[in-house]
Amino acid sequence: MSPAIEVIHLTKTYKTNHSPAVADLNLTVETGEIFGLLGPNGAGKSTTLECILGTRKADSGTVSVLGLNPKSQRRKLYEEVGVQFQEGSYQDRITVKEICEETECLYKTYDDYRLLLEKFNLSHKLTSPVNELSGGERQRLSIILALIPRPKLVFLDELTTGLDTYARKEVWEILKELKKQGLTIFLTSHFMDEIEILCDRIGILKIGNLIFTGTVEEAKKVSGQESLENAYLWFTGELKEELEHESI
Amino acid sequence: MKAFRILLKNEGKLSIRGLDMFIFAICMPVVVTILIVIILGDKPAAEGSPYTFFEQSFGAVSTIAICAGGVMGLPLLISDYRHRKILKRFQVTPAHPVLLLGVHAAIYALYSLASLVLITVISVLFFNFRMPGSWLSFLGAYLLVMFSMFSIGFLVGGLAPDSKTAGMIASLLYFPMLIFSGATLPYEIMPVGMQKAVDFMPLTQGIALLKTAALGVPFENSYKAAAVIIVIGVICTGLSISFFKWE
Repeated sequence: MSPAIEVIHLTKTYKTNHSPAVADLNLTVETGEIFGLLGPNGAGKSTTLECILGTRKADSGTVSVLGLNPKSQRRKLYEEVGVQFQEGSYQDRITVKEICEETECLYKTYDDYRLLLEKFNLSHKLTSPVNELSGGERQRLSIILALIPRPKLVFLDELTTGLDTYARKEVWEILKELKKQGLTIFLTSHFMDEIEILCDRIGILKIGNLIFTGTVEEAKKVSGQESLENAYLWFTGELKEELEHESI
Repeated sequence: MKAFRILLKNEGKLSIRGLDMFIFAICMPVVVTILIVIILGDKPAAEGSPYTFFEQSFGAVSTIAICAGGVMGLPLLISDYRHRKILKRFQVTPAHPVLLLGVHAAIYALYSLASLVLITVISVLFFNFRMPGSWLSFLGAYLLVMFSMFSIGFLVGGLAPDSKTAGMIASLLYFPMLIFSGATLPYEIMPVGMQKAVDFMPLTQGIALLKTAALGVPFENSYKAAAVIIVIGVICTGLSISFFKWE
């Protein structure tokens, strides 16, 4: 089976910067797996994500998502791909029901948003304005919107930021369930517990370079660290500082 | 079609909740209508003219809503949706940009038509207004002016780098056109020099066309006006579609 996402030699440099935001990045996400992209702020996570989505133009390299070009075949691709952005922004005064309807109507095939609202425990907010939802409720809503098209692949940016412990675990369960049904998930997150529980494979970015891809276990092994957190810090070169900081 | 219908319903509701279009496109034309009738209404349009001043001004007043929607509403909405990444959310769906823009054009068109109906009903019922010209050609001219003014709005909303600039350009277009093109301050009472200056504004040409239709004056007098607004409409629509950006 062809990979869900294939990125070859992706490079992107912003006009305001000399060094590339992403340099010669190669990445493959297989169908049916959960892939987590990690990296400190400014490492190029957003740029990579946006180039894969086709919302940003890469300087060079090729991106293929579900075998399609996200820029030239955008409308076909997004029939089958759901996206949750880190800062989901909504129209003023729009209600949960209205934003769900507006999302649903754009697709040929879709899941009933009422069932999704129930699954994510948001049914009671159906008629509430979106901007009156709590941080966690908004986050769950943005995941629901990404799932409405009954996607084969979802992109979840900063998946559970703003959710409380219970809500995070709920989201994890739902995602594992969706994975069982064959959904491919590409996510970014700052929470190592979440990465460890969910991801089949991870990629670690450091200053625009993808310095590691593999399983969580492999990351621990290569770095010689016992926890993913320390392995991550070891890869990004922040481990020493961290330990020194702690000893002070 | 289903997507258009649902977006029209929901985005329309959001627009009504916003209230500003209700004030600028629905209330304001009514107030101006009443004021013109009270101040100048029964007087002849010019000495010896067969039309009353209000009959002559009807076409001008009817463009207030078009101007509010096209030159103010549309640019602000598009740039705001882009700035707040709402367009970006649409970008990662199968939606065609024309769908969302078309929905908003339809909403502002509905405001304009509602305003036209409202001032017509008020003028006919309370001020005994009868249009000397043909309603059909008036409506045709009205749609043409709408097309032209909305296309300017799309262009400003599409090309402005941010919502602040869009707001500034919209104000620079909206207020002079609203006041000087004859929509509120009647063209006929302006000094000749000023008339020549304001002739450059597209809405002035649009209003000239509407007046021709409303008064039943032979169309030959308005070829130039019609050509100007059609050309503006085609150019601005073409540019705004080819330069459309989600972000």
